[in-house]
Amino acid sequence: MNLRPYLFPLGLLLLGLSFLLNLSLGSVWIPFGEVIEGLVTGNWGKASWEQIILNYRFPKALVAILAGSALSLSGLQMQTFFRNPLAGPFVLGISSGAGLGVAILILAGTVLGFSLSSIHSWSIALAGILGAGMVLSMVSLVAWKVKDSMTLLIVGLMFGSAVSAVISVLSFFSGAEALKLYTVWSMGSLGALGWSQVGILSILLLVGIIPVFTSIKSYNALLLGENYAQSMGIHTGKMRWIMILSTGILAGSVTAFCGPIAFIGIAVPHLARMIWKTSDHRVLFPGSVLVGAILLLLCDAVGQLPGYASTLPINAVTSLVGAPIVISLILKRNLSRDF
Amino acid sequence: MSTRKAHIALEGKGLSLGYVHQKQRKEILSDLNFQLISGELTCLLGPNGVGKSTLIKAILGQITPWKGTLSLENQPISSFDLKTLAKKIAVVLTDPVFPGNMTVGQLVALGRTPYTGWSGKLSLEDHEIVEKALSDTKITYLKEERLSEISDGQRQKAMIARALAQDGDILILDEPTAHLDLVNRFEIMTLLREIAKNQDHAVLVVTHDLDIALETADRFWLLNCGTPLIADRPESLILNGSINQLLPGEKYAFNLSRGKVEAQLLENQLKIKGPKEQVFWVEKALLKAGISRLEHEVSVLSEPFTIQTEKGNFSSLDSFIQSLDS
Repeated sequence: MNLRPYLFPLGLLLLGLSFLLNLSLGSVWIPFGEVIEGLVTGNWGKASWEQIILNYRFPKALVAILAGSALSLSGLQMQTFFRNPLAGPFVLGISSGAGLGVAILILAGTVLGFSLSSIHSWSIALAGILGAGMVLSMVSLVAWKVKDSMTLLIVGLMFGSAVSAVISVLSFFSGAEALKLYTVWSMGSLGALGWSQVGILSILLLVGIIPVFTSIKSYNALLLGENYAQSMGIHTGKMRWIMILSTGILAGSVTAFCGPIAFIGIAVPHLARMIWKTSDHRVLFPGSVLVGAILLLLCDAVGQLPGYASTLPINAVTSLVGAPIVISLILKRNLSRDF
Repeated sequence: MSTRKAHIALEGKGLSLGYVHQKQRKEILSDLNFQLISGELTCLLGPNGVGKSTLIKAILGQITPWKGTLSLENQPISSFDLKTLAKKIAVVLTDPVFPGNMTVGQLVALGRTPYTGWSGKLSLEDHEIVEKALSDTKITYLKEERLSEISDGQRQKAMIARALAQDGDILILDEPTAHLDLVNRFEIMTLLREIAKNQDHAVLVVTHDLDIALETADRFWLLNCGTPLIADRPESLILNGSINQLLPGEKYAFNLSRGKVEAQLLENQLKIKGPKEQVFWVEKALLKAGISRLEHEVSVLSEPFTIQTEKGNFSSLDSFIQSLDS
C-alpha cells in the first residue's frame, strides 16, 4: 500500500496529539480529559489548572513547535547548500555567537558590577540576538570574500571554536553564581517564555521563513551542486546570502530565546528524507517542519519526567532521546546514499 | 541529415582567457578562434591542463575573456543574464552528482528550472519536454528509478537527458565518457551524434577518447600548449598530419592505415612471415615482451594458429615467447 498521500495528514494528526500530550504532562498532574474539556469549553476543573495550562504549558508547547520547525528548516537549508549530511543550523557559529552574547551579559556583567537578579529574560534574549547577529555578519563578510562554499563551512566552524574559547575565558574569570546561571541557559529551556516573547519569536521566525519559500526551486537545483545550479540560471551568490540570512534569523532567534538546542537541526532533515523518500524540497521543507515540531514536543514531554516535580533541560533530552533513535534509523540505511 | 541550414551557434574571435591568482595574471589560452556549428558534433581534444575547462567556463559566462569576443547569436555572451543563458546553453559537467533519493524523472525535470515559476512546478508543456528528453536518450524505462540504484552509464544518460530538457541550442559536455566501459562510451557518443543531427543542436564534447571521437565527430578542435586552436574535420586533420599534435614526441604516432594511435614500432630485426594481420600482432607481442630480434625467420599460420620455428611448432604466443626466454 502506498502511504505517501497519507503522510502529511498523519503527521498533522500526530502533531495535534503530541501537542495535547505535551499540555497534559508536567509537575502538576492534570487529567488528559480535563485539559481537552478546559480548552474546548473554557470550564476548568480548578482555577490553578487554567493558570498552568494557559500561561505556562500552552506557550511552552507553542515554543516547542516553533523552535523545532525553525531549527529543522535551517538544518535542511545548510545540508543542501553545503551538500554535506553533517551540516546543521549551527555550523556557521550562530549558536556560539548567541552564547557569547549571553555570556558577556551574565559573566562579564558580574565583573562590571550588574547584580544578577537584575538580568531579565528579555535582556538575555536581546544579548543572544546581538551575539548571533555579530557572528552572522562576520561570516557574511567572509562569504562575500570567498567563492567556495566548502571554505565558508570551514571558516564558520573555526568562528564557532574561537567564540567558544572566548566563552571559556569569560567562564574562568566569573563567579560561581553567574557561572551557574550561564550553564543553565546553555542547557536550553522552552518554558521561560511568556506570551509577549512568544509573539516576538513568532514574528522573527516568520521573517526567517519567507526567504525559504521563495527559493524552493533554487534549493532543488542546488542538489546538483553550485556549478549545475548556475548553469540552470540560479544565482548561487544570491542564494548564499539568502541561506545565511534565513538560517541566521531562524536558528539565531531560537537560540537567543531558548538557549542552544542540539541535534534537532541535524537529525530532522534526515528523518524527513527517510519518511518521504525524496530529495524534493517542496516536500522536504514542510516535512521537516512537521517532524521537527513533533520531535521537540515529544522530547519536551519526556523531559517533564511525569510524576516528578523537576524537569530535565531540553538540550540534554534532545540528545539523550533523539540520538539513539536516529543512530538506529541511520544504521539501517545508507545515509550518504540517500542524502 | 537535417535539412535546416547549419548556422554558427557560438563564435570566439581572438579570445584570451586566464585567471588572476594572488594578483598575478596567468594567461591560459590566447588568441583562440572558433565557430561552433549547429547540427554538428564537435570534439575538443587536448592534453590535460591545456585549458579546456577554462574555455568551457568562459562559454558558460563564469569567467570573462581578457581579450577578444565570445558571442552567441552575434551578441557577446556577457550581455546575457544567467537565466537567458541557461535557456540557450546546457551542460554536463564532471562534478559528481549524488542526491541518491532523487529519481531519474525528477533529475530530468530539474532541467526545466529556468522556465518554471518560484516553486518549480512543471506545466503540461514542461512535462512533455521532460518525457521527450527521456525518450530521446532512450531511458524512459528508468524514469522512476533512484539515482543511487542505476549504473554509471545510465546516470550519464540521465544527465544528458536533463541537459536536453533545458532546451537550449547548445549542449556542452565535459568528458561525458570518462569512467565508462567501452560499450557505454560508444553508446553515449552515438547518442550525442543523433542529438546533434536530429535536433539540430550544436554539441561540444570535451574528450580524451580519440578512437571514439574519430568515429562519431563531425569536427575536431585541437588545443595544444602554445599553438592556436585547430578546427577541422577529423579526417582532414589525419590526412594533413595535424592530429599528431596531440602526441608530442616521437614515441607515439597516429597510424594512418589503422586509424588509431600506436607506440611507434621500434626498428626491429624480427623476421616473421605470414598473413599481414597475424604478423602484426605477433610482432606487437614480441616487442612488448622486450624481444626485438630473432635469430631465425619464423612463419605464422592462421588456421589453426601456429608459429613455425626451426625449434618446433608453437600453438600459442605464450609458449613461443617462453621458449625464446629460456
